Amino acid sequence: MLNAPEASRTGRVVTAALVIVVALILQVSVANRLPLPGGVQPDLVLLAVVALALVSGSMTGMVTGFLAGLAADIVPPADHTLGRYALVYCLIGYLCGIASAEMDRQSLVPFLAVAAGALAGAVLYAATGMILGDPRAEWGTVSRMVPLQVVYDVIASPFVVWAVLRVTRRYERGERARGDRFAVPAARYRAMSGRSGSL
Amino acid sequence: MKDTRRTRVVLGALLVAALAMITVDYRGGAQSPLRGLRGLGATVFGPVERASAAVVRPVGNTFDAVTDAPGERRRADRLERENQRLREQLRAGRLDQDRSAQLQRLLGTAGMGGYKIRAAQVISAGQGFEDTVTIDVGSRNGVRADMTVMSAAGLVGRVTRVGPATATVLLATDQTSSVGSRLEDSKEIGIVQGRGRRGLGNGGTALRFQLLDAAAPIRVGQRLVTLGSQAERPYVPGVPIGVIERIDGASGLTRTAYVRPFVRFTSLDVVAVVVAPPKIDPRDAVLPPAPKPAPTPTPSGSPSPGASKSGAPKARPSGTRRPSKTPTPGD
Repeated sequence: MLNAPEASRTGRVVTAALVIVVALILQVSVANRLPLPGGVQPDLVLLAVVALALVSGSMTGMVTGFLAGLAADIVPPADHTLGRYALVYCLIGYLCGIASAEMDRQSLVPFLAVAAGALAGAVLYAATGMILGDPRAEWGTVSRMVPLQVVYDVIASPFVVWAVLRVTRRYERGERARGDRFAVPAARYRAMSGRSGSL
Repeated sequence: MKDTRRTRVVLGALLVAALAMITVDYRGGAQSPLRGLRGLGATVFGPVERASAAVVRPVGNTFDAVTDAPGERRRADRLERENQRLREQLRAGRLDQDRSAQLQRLLGTAGMGGYKIRAAQVISAGQGFEDTVTIDVGSRNGVRADMTVMSAAGLVGRVTRVGPATATVLLATDQTSSVGSRLEDSKEIGIVQGRGRRGLGNGGTALRFQLLDAAAPIRVGQRLVTLGSQAERPYVPGVPIGVIERIDGASGLTRTAYVRPFVRFTSLDVVAVVVAPPKIDPRDAVLPPAPKPAPTPTPSGSPSPGASKSGAPKARPSGTRRPSKTPTPGD
């Protein structure tokens, strides 16, 4: 299967889809039900999108982000304007994909990227809510929740990033030999997060 | 990136698509043309969530109590669910009895109903700023939009969207939720609004009560029941909401108080959808027995409404059972 480029591409798409679906289901049925202090939960889907974008580049990042966001918009308990997460995750996927090309070999950088992505995602989502006049996204709530959300996201990020790297590694190996445009950031990122992978 | 141009084109297209969806959905409101997409989401993800809840629960249960065998815990869950159903039946029956006794005394007639309910389980919760949960009953089980959702302890929320096998519940703590409510043993009415994040933020009190008559008497410790909406949709009358915990000074036309709900929203597990409203407003009869000799109309020896899974022990006799022990970390 890894011999043919088409099959490998299919494999990558399937892997990304699987990662997103699993993250989404874990998000709604496990993470969102944790009674964490402050009533805020880590955003596993956002972390998965960031990790996939860092591994695979901006194109994959934004398409994955858009589709993941759309899924997050329609997954049953969702009750916000449709398209908000699609917009936010698409942008975050794109930005993290761009950032993955610029990253150098320091083990701290991926974590900073994840933290920055989490912050940007939380702020953007709150901003869309404010623009639409969502009563849930009033300033008092947002200013209290966003910092806490970023903290939880950063705490949860090593686990999500590690899991995404584990799952995608299989397909990256076949591609590194072929040396397409996704291989370089992927190899870099994997080399960088090799230490975090042993957590 | 050698593909920057193409990447930017795709990015632009996706962003335009997202913005278009937001615009269409926002403009459309409840009649949005994109609601079919949500229906698709419920159809596709609903069964997956049910399955994952089934998988996640036993895992969390073993995590929670190492000594308990998972099989035993499963049985306990089943019994708990059955217990809830029987308790609701008992309560409905008792309500019926009390009502009929009263009415026989007063009018010489009989025959009143309580709430007709369908037990359900919470399988997932909402993301971001919204306080919503999914329950594992849907249109196949006779659940429709705008039905009241309650637990053994009191009001949980209302059904907003229904899929084939799942339904979305807007919790009473959500910031967009407002419930018409009434102080116990008085006719004073007001609106209970959610304060977000299942009561974990904002200093602990999950609900805010706005008394419409600023001059009306109100005191700490008074309890609230639902007033009942027009045609009993979305809220049926008489469902206990919570206890007044703190009262703000009168400001302007209304008076604001903060309410501690009977239901603990962070550990919702077994709930019930009211599929048929009571034939008669139960008034204060469903409230748990008061800690002091309260002038509730019935002697209200019924242990059933007091048997709560909520963390509101002060308002209840200590002898009541505590059926739910918040099994999973996911609860």
